[in-house]
Amino acid sequence: MLLNFERLGWLKYVLLGITLLTALFLLLPIIFIAALSFGSSQWLIFPPPGWTLKWYSDLLADPRWLSSAWTSFRIAAIVTVLSVLLGLVTSFGLVRGRFLFRKTLRALFLTPMILPVVVLAVALYAFFLKIGLNGTMTGFVISHLVLALPFSILSISNALERFDKSIEDAAVLCGASPLEAKIRVTLPAISHGIFSAAIFSFLTSWDEVVVAIFMSSPTLQTLPVKVWATLRQDLTPVVAAASTLLILLTVILMALFALVRKGLKS
Amino acid sequence: MTTPFLKIEGIRKEYGPVVAVQDVNLEVERGEFLTFLGPSGSGKSTTLYILAGFDNPTRGDIKLNGKTLLATPSQKRNIGMVFQRYTLFPHLSVGDNIAFPLKVRRLPKHQIDAKVKEMLRLVRLEGFEDRKPAQMSGGQQQRVALARALAYDPPVLLMDEPLSALDKKLREEIQHEIRRIHQQTEVTILYVTHDQEEALRLSDRIAVFSKGVIDQIGTGPELYANPATRFVAQFIGDSDFLPCQMLHSANGRATVSVGGAVFSDVPLHETGKSEGAALMLRPERLSLTREPLQQRLAATVSDITFLGNNVHVATSTLSGDPLSVRLPFGHPAISGLSRGDSVWLGFEAASAHVFN
Repeated sequence: MLLNFERLGWLKYVLLGITLLTALFLLLPIIFIAALSFGSSQWLIFPPPGWTLKWYSDLLADPRWLSSAWTSFRIAAIVTVLSVLLGLVTSFGLVRGRFLFRKTLRALFLTPMILPVVVLAVALYAFFLKIGLNGTMTGFVISHLVLALPFSILSISNALERFDKSIEDAAVLCGASPLEAKIRVTLPAISHGIFSAAIFSFLTSWDEVVVAIFMSSPTLQTLPVKVWATLRQDLTPVVAAASTLLILLTVILMALFALVRKGLKS
Repeated sequence: MTTPFLKIEGIRKEYGPVVAVQDVNLEVERGEFLTFLGPSGSGKSTTLYILAGFDNPTRGDIKLNGKTLLATPSQKRNIGMVFQRYTLFPHLSVGDNIAFPLKVRRLPKHQIDAKVKEMLRLVRLEGFEDRKPAQMSGGQQQRVALARALAYDPPVLLMDEPLSALDKKLREEIQHEIRRIHQQTEVTILYVTHDQEEALRLSDRIAVFSKGVIDQIGTGPELYANPATRFVAQFIGDSDFLPCQMLHSANGRATVSVGGAVFSDVPLHETGKSEGAALMLRPERLSLTREPLQQRLAATVSDITFLGNNVHVATSTLSGDPLSVRLPFGHPAISGLSRGDSVWLGFEAASAHVFN
């Protein structure tokens, strides 16, 4: 190895220090919000003067919080399913297809990743206003699908590219129809890519706020929108509790992702 | 006349302006081991892929037992194939890989289990059922692929350079396995390779591919002793070509002059190409003397290489053309021979060939 950590001498303590500072920089806000959610002060004072679970019981007692969480979950779940299905067929087309402008098309599919979200949100808002989809479940799903699909296409087509098509050909010669070969051989072989697509699609929708603010109506709000709206009205630690739960779910999903990925690879 | 088991009739394959296969005609007997031998891009793999049904020919037909195969999709052709790359299904165990074609055919479970066992025994991998492909060596994976391809008793087994990813020693080991399995199952095998030694070792007959056509079909000894074209002569065995002058030709024999010496009664092959006449000599069929003799080619030693039981003497004729001689180790003519020495090389007319 070019850089041997053991041979760095005093430099390795400097490196260690930098690493710790970076980790703190990344983690402090999260630790901060989690600590506040257990703090007894109503004014989000740090460090908290005492500890309480009051904000969590407030949160769980408020049907508006629960309903927005449920809305978020439903949207994310539908987006996940659609994103994986569309990502799958799109990836097959992009990876296996032999047509003009294939690369251009692939780049086009990834543009939502680099486009400023607020631009996309305004565009979708204006468009949905015309066709009456604002504030509807369908509108939410479609707009989040636009954001989630690039991740799905990227991870599935990467997996598909690394999969040797001869294996699918072998399945066909074994007597499986081309569709059967894809379902019984190709899909299991690229399952890690499909799984990443699902997780990232879910997370993209689950914690998305910008587009969601444009899409939401008083009766249809996702959890991040509810957090944002509550913050603007009154600065209650219930927001911190909600955020902590959001973070917790994300962490659980990521851990699950890492575990399953490890399982799929071995 | 009986219908041939497998017949390839005038297959041609074009990819846009590129002609991958020009015109391939071939008849294969049941139970035969036939190898397609040729360099990459000679059309041998394309022909195999057309047989497998992954590609349709631009023209021509393939008939199995007198009936065309082209109308049948790959999955219904019942053909077995072992690929160049490892194509075991990565998420399935060895046993499930072999069972796959049988499950697709919806055979009853006890029949599948019995067949998987039989196949594992055939490729000598008993006890490996539960391994995943990633836990096996390349050679073992190809043996499982072979078992999978034979599990449904295909009439024809296609093999597309299945050993090219393996090292030499393992390759020879599996070549023996393939021969044994061929003898045991009596399946008809079409085997693609660019390795002449592999082709000679395995096949009943060899079809030498060059530029999209079959130059010659025959047994190894036939191709070696009687190459129809310069290409076949170069591809089967080692050979050198000396430009020569045609003095006389009749009844497939020629009299030629090379470097002042005249050789008569040499087998002649009219290739129809205007490359000029050339005399083909094989290094192992040449004799070497240190004294000038009649009817011999004068040459200068340019290098001597010890190859175990053989010694390879590279020489250069008076006109500067390279000409190699291979002699058994300890041959009296080469004791004390060194670079720059003059030698005289002779051969029997019947062992040489003139291509005109």
